[in-house]
Amino acid sequence: MNSYKFDWNVIDKYFPELIRGLGITLEISLVGMAIALVFGLLLAMGRLSSMRFIRTVANAITQLFRSIPLFVMLFWVYYGLSLKFHILFTEFQAGALALGITGGAYMAEVFRGGLMAVDPGQREAAMAMGISRGTTFSHVIFPQALRVVIPPSVNVYVGLLKGATIVSVIGVSDMIYVAQYVSLQTFTPFELYSVAGIIFVALTVSISGFAWMLERRLGRGRSD
Amino acid sequence: MTSAEPFFDFTSVWSSMPMLLKGFGIAMACATVAIILAIILGLIVALMRLSRIKFLRWFAFIYTQFFRGIPLYVLIIWVYFGLAIAAGVNLPAIPAGILTLALLNSGYLSETFRSGILAINKGQVEAGTALGLSRRNVMRHIILPQAFRVIIPPLGNQYVDAIKDTAILSIIGVPELMRESKALANLYYRPFEFYTFAGLLYLFAVLVVSRGISVVEKKLSAHSAQTPATIALSK
Repeated sequence: MNSYKFDWNVIDKYFPELIRGLGITLEISLVGMAIALVFGLLLAMGRLSSMRFIRTVANAITQLFRSIPLFVMLFWVYYGLSLKFHILFTEFQAGALALGITGGAYMAEVFRGGLMAVDPGQREAAMAMGISRGTTFSHVIFPQALRVVIPPSVNVYVGLLKGATIVSVIGVSDMIYVAQYVSLQTFTPFELYSVAGIIFVALTVSISGFAWMLERRLGRGRSD
Repeated sequence: MTSAEPFFDFTSVWSSMPMLLKGFGIAMACATVAIILAIILGLIVALMRLSRIKFLRWFAFIYTQFFRGIPLYVLIIWVYFGLAIAAGVNLPAIPAGILTLALLNSGYLSETFRSGILAINKGQVEAGTALGLSRRNVMRHIILPQAFRVIIPPLGNQYVDAIKDTAILSIIGVPELMRESKALANLYYRPFEFYTFAGLLYLFAVLVVSRGISVVEKKLSAHSAQTPATIALSK
């Protein structure tokens, strides 16, 4: 016998709270992405460094952080790091940091691919013109690499956005968290999780579609 | 001065090794069973997407978009704490976890299979048809064997992702590595050590699988010259 009582009115009632939760998911994923961009670029530059030691270290860090599940990373940062080094992270900070570390390892790969896609002749031409190494990177190589980097970066972001849903396990009050505590009072987990899931799929599918479009657009002008 | 506790203390990790390794074994078993199911499901969905029947194509398209778009955490909570409760069924954790993991991965794999199938030269199909083979036999004996070779690397990546994703199964109570690590970290109050060790075990699994895939890949490419399909997909 099934005694579950469907009550879709609960959605009407708690919709604003679910959306507020979604806002927190977006916020934490964007902060995580910002960390990932900086960390990933540093790692990619390390992996392309002329110094062997730096290359080895950067490669090892990338491999390590790519292989550790985000879920483990989250617990490692929030419980492990904070206890060991007496850093009091808020749930939000720990979540964003874990997303940033994992995302950074993925972005390192993306940036490396983008930087390597720039014709070496560009660097040589800049050098022949007497431009410094730093300026060559920031004004010649990087802007060209950016075009190759943007579409896969959006895909990494979608990955982080999906990953960001797990932060509710450490108590960040995102959409799933809202659905969880509302369903404890209303006993309508099916309705709440269904709506949360559908909102999420709509969001990720549209962003992925946008990435696909960008890829076609940015790829258009390339002759190679 | 009293003797201070050592900064890093892995003794509790070593003494819990049997439990951790058992958890690791369960995680690997879940990932492996899930990926095998996902290959079967993914292949069916890929064939549906390439079908001549419009309804099947649409169904497969929505299936792929849905399972590629939904985060595992959300899907698992929906299945285990939403659907199962609404339907009044008592789902055991391990089958529920494996099923969810398989559904999610089948969405990704169906896209991999589709592009693998599409990467096979049209001439192969035409040659098969010209020899009087049915559409079905062309698919079974000509396209799929070639496509399978092409999809080995992306299939390996999917397996690696599935292994990492098993950590999320801990939230529904599957006694895998992460669940054991959480319990032990709380018991000994050594979260840093236990989560570091868990992370290293996942790293180990990922490295072994990646190595295995590249060995298989090398073996296969030694037997066959590069076809346009392998070149297209190796990018």
